[in-house]
Amino acid sequence: MSEPANTAPADPRPAAGPNWQPRIIGFLCYWCSYTGADMAGTARMKYPPNVDIIRVMCSGRIDPELVTTAFARGADGVLVCGCHIGDCHYITGNHKTMARMPLLKRILLDMGIEPERFRHEWVSAAEGEKFSKLVAELTEQVRRLGPLDWPGLMRARGVGHGMDLKAWGE
Amino acid sequence: MSTNPNNAAPVAKLKIAKYWAASCGGCDISLLEIGPNLLELIKIADVVFWPCAADFKYEDVRNYPDGYIDLCFYNGGIRNSEQEEVARLLRRKSKSLIAYGQCAVDGGIPALANLKTVKGIFNASYHDNPSIDNPAGVEPQPVTPSEYGDLEIPRFYPQVLRLKDVVPVDYEIPGCPPQSDRVWEAILALAGGQVPLQNRNVKVACYDKAVCDECKLEKRNVRIKEFKRVHTSIPEPGWCLLEQGYLCVGPATRSGCGALCPAAGMPCEGCYGPAGDVVDQGTAMVSAIASMLDARTEEQAQELIDQIADPTGTFYRFTLASSHLKARK
Amino acid sequence: MTADRHPHRPQSPPAEAIRIGVFICHCGGNISDVVDVRRVAEEVGRLPDVVLSTTHMFMCSDPGQMLIEEKIRELGLNRVIVAACSPTLHQLTFRRTLGRAGLNQYLFEHVNIREQVSWVVEDKAAATLKATRLVRAAVGRIRHLQPLAKRRIMIHPSALVIGGGVAGLVATRDLAKRGMRVTLVENTPFLGGRMAQLYTLFPSNEDAKELLGKLIAEVVHHPLVTVHTSAQVMSSSGIVGDFRTKLRISPRGVDKRLTQVGIAMAACPEETISEYNFGLTRRKAIYMPYPGCWPQMPAIDWRSCTKCGKCQAVVGGKGIDLAQEPKEIEIHSGVIVLATGYDPYEPMFGEYGSGIFPEVITLQQLIRILDPEGPTAGQFVVNGRPVRSMAFIHCAGARQYEGINMPQPSGKVNDYCARTCCTAALHQANEIKERFPGIEIYDIYQDIRTYGRGHENYYERASERGVIFIRFDPMRLPKVRHDPRGEKPVVIMVQDMLTNRMDVEVPVDVVVLATGVMPHDISELVDMYKCAVGYDSFLLEVHPKLRPVELAVSGVFLAGSCQGPMDITECSAAAAAAASKAAALIAQGQVEMDPFIARVNEDLCSGCQTCLTVCPYEAITRDPRKGVAVINEALCTGCGTCAATCPSNAIQQFGFTDTQVMAEVEMLLADMMPEPLPTGGSHE
Repeated sequence: MSEPANTAPADPRPAAGPNWQPRIIGFLCYWCSYTGADMAGTARMKYPPNVDIIRVMCSGRIDPELVTTAFARGADGVLVCGCHIGDCHYITGNHKTMARMPLLKRILLDMGIEPERFRHEWVSAAEGEKFSKLVAELTEQVRRLGPLDWPGLMRARGVGHGMDLKAWGE
Repeated sequence: MSTNPNNAAPVAKLKIAKYWAASCGGCDISLLEIGPNLLELIKIADVVFWPCAADFKYEDVRNYPDGYIDLCFYNGGIRNSEQEEVARLLRRKSKSLIAYGQCAVDGGIPALANLKTVKGIFNASYHDNPSIDNPAGVEPQPVTPSEYGDLEIPRFYPQVLRLKDVVPVDYEIPGCPPQSDRVWEAILALAGGQVPLQNRNVKVACYDKAVCDECKLEKRNVRIKEFKRVHTSIPEPGWCLLEQGYLCVGPATRSGCGALCPAAGMPCEGCYGPAGDVVDQGTAMVSAIASMLDARTEEQAQELIDQIADPTGTFYRFTLASSHLKARK
Repeated sequence: MTADRHPHRPQSPPAEAIRIGVFICHCGGNISDVVDVRRVAEEVGRLPDVVLSTTHMFMCSDPGQMLIEEKIRELGLNRVIVAACSPTLHQLTFRRTLGRAGLNQYLFEHVNIREQVSWVVEDKAAATLKATRLVRAAVGRIRHLQPLAKRRIMIHPSALVIGGGVAGLVATRDLAKRGMRVTLVENTPFLGGRMAQLYTLFPSNEDAKELLGKLIAEVVHHPLVTVHTSAQVMSSSGIVGDFRTKLRISPRGVDKRLTQVGIAMAACPEETISEYNFGLTRRKAIYMPYPGCWPQMPAIDWRSCTKCGKCQAVVGGKGIDLAQEPKEIEIHSGVIVLATGYDPYEPMFGEYGSGIFPEVITLQQLIRILDPEGPTAGQFVVNGRPVRSMAFIHCAGARQYEGINMPQPSGKVNDYCARTCCTAALHQANEIKERFPGIEIYDIYQDIRTYGRGHENYYERASERGVIFIRFDPMRLPKVRHDPRGEKPVVIMVQDMLTNRMDVEVPVDVVVLATGVMPHDISELVDMYKCAVGYDSFLLEVHPKLRPVELAVSGVFLAGSCQGPMDITECSAAAAAAASKAAALIAQGQVEMDPFIARVNEDLCSGCQTCLTVCPYEAITRDPRKGVAVINEALCTGCGTCAATCPSNAIQQFGFTDTQVMAEVEMLLADMMPEPLPTGGSHE
């Protein structure tokens, strides 16, 4: 059998280009970490624009599936933030996050995702500076690691692709 | 369903096929396990292709008209190009293509190879292995010249794929293997026209809810204090295995099997894949199990998590190719 | 058989076509100076289902809101997105705007492109791109939003006040004056709390017990007030507007028919230490703490009582019932006020010699001694010896440092300032100078914090009257030692910061530790009401400036020193505030709550029960008949933890369903996905 012909057109996606910017998805709880991020804004602290924030009411709502979906869809990094233990607006919601994220991290490692790409931090409503520093640090780490581009990886491996293969005998 | 109650002209028999790709043979056996119903099956159907049990060739299938096969059961994952090519062939030649068993539905056990690189797999298979004697470092090549001409073997894929990753699939029968009772029910429904032959990824021969729905073990609503393995301690009978600390994946696994394993004191391994709407069985289990830990601090949580030897293998044992990430980078 | 349900598609297609209106705010330049809002509007306007995409100078202004209303009507919009400041500011404003235009308030999405974009991103191009991504994500999400209805809960027009000290009494009085029915419960057999253990109050020098008596009279004689003493809260369930609390009323053993109180108490052979006098004296098992207490009748302390019956015998059985049983009652209330108070710090064994040297006492004990109605009839006598010289040591049990001060059994130190002790100590210093002019007083302090109105006077007058002030370094605590051969029994060694760290020895008869305060232990109540508690173990308010007497749990209010160290003035103010808030809530008649609750899909619930223990509010139970989980929607506060937990995806949280949140993720990364597949396989 011959090697597959590369019949795919030029890849227009941002992950492939020279102007690549880390794309990071942040899941923040409304009461503490989202408000902390707002505080960084009120104080006009500057930080890189690479973390797009999705808010949920409590970090306890953050299903590990949201994290793996984000990576699978092309995120280069994922950030999960919640209230400090003992300060959760919903008392123990963040206790669940506290257990889920480390367990998820082990699976991400097994899948070859570098540990620096997934950050799980507690940020209180008063920690605007902590948040801005966190975003800057995470962006820089992910930048050094380069694009993850999971969709591109899967496509190259022929997931739902097989463009070069024909049915037997055709 | 009987063939001909009124002694009228015989109804045309269904044409069924069963192919095995990257599989263990268990699925073929599970079809045979319908037992006495085999006699019913042969009354209503003719086998037109079944490499495991009958002597048809690929050539025969190529010569069938398109859509000739009524029900085609495809079991096994897609590890190499032959498996994909046959999948495409069978798709063309079948009215209803049914992914049979976990390997075809979610990747199954073969998909655990997705945690290794191709290089790593070849290394373990052909080089770095106590029982291999291969000083020349020979590896199978896609093409090998010989006096008979070029010998070609299928290409090894970079990761295990599911049937639906390469062709549209009508129905999926989960399980490793699928329970024969449920399989027979599904065949009857398809044969009897109760469900259309054409559909898209519809799960049959199973139920919607998770194994806990069928399991008779009692819940006490306690948190997990430590994790245990069945080879080092004996579970208390009658009590939920997960609550006792055994890694039972039942809450995140589709039912239909009758919860046979927990009933025998063995934690569910998740062989029917995710329940209900869930796409990713592993993250569903991570969510559930992390929520059950008896931990009030991060240190306590980490201590318990460290007791789980292989979370990826345990929570994705049969479904890695269906996870969002599917394979290792 | 299962239907083909892609989890990221809505369960049923929307009944009508989605028509989205996007409004992007300039915020007067705050946003538009950095983000090219018109460009964002253009980009977003190209998305399917977006019928209108426009900008406005100030969306939150009246004209801005009018614009939204007009466009909803004019274009038949059924979804609205506003991209502006943080939703914490105006989400409510815009939801109401939708309401006025006849659209369900929850078909609204607020995107933050100010605090989280224009104010923090320097590069304008990057900011514009980011804002575009976020608004596009909102478009993805809003397609899946469903109309939701606010939950309305009727409020039971009554209040439960827990704690019968000054804060609880003030709250009860103020609530009753507003026409609310109030049940006041007190743990001990007597009302009054810590205020009853004082004699004069600063800064007015009024008599504490007299003032307390007046307050108690106002409360107990009010027709709308019911008082239960010796009452423990056994359980509390419910939600704002509908709390059900079970009380256990311990038997008092004594009733109003007992007239020969003195004889009954004298007949009792059992004695125990008096908590009222902080261990300075002993009391009988049948006792009254002080003559003017309320109720004006003794109580029996069942831990010390042996039921010998002598008290009963001596009064002919009238008014004493040793066989009295406890009873349980249930109180139904719309609001709850926690006024559980504080405990003065009790020094650790050996702290400044406490417990070892009998000459070391606490400020609370000093006050009992100086009280004319106290154990020494106001004579300054300690351990049977008159006092001629004394020293205060401030900050015992307050402003502590780890590694320097002795920690609590829990390992924690009290690092906070207890506020009231400086004034209290200097008040007593002045009292002593006034009543016993010859006594030498030394005041060994860290800082003098006589912060309140009229409090600085005590410091000045003390100084004028010859109190000697010595300032110590918190890193080098004063040391107290016995001096058996010296003139005075006790010597304090301290390095005086005021004289450039001169080492000083202070010989005195008595050392008085000006002690801090700790919250009274209410860990069961904290669990029951799911109160937030600070690191210092005091109850935590929602916001110290904007909502100082409210707990995060709706309908439960804080009054007084359970929230932090405060003096009677401040407790009174806090209690009045709590009563005011509580009354205002009751007056509303009903409470509206956000509808972001979770619900179980019984067709998918396998009965695995993983969710049952996950809810912080115990809102999830099992229906034994159906074998599925059930969420009590009145108790659900909308955290979504159960929704994430469920391994069957059987629980969804309204407003944050998997579909809705996934849609945001997918839209944010939409440009990362490769071209659609040419040959039939799936992307799943």
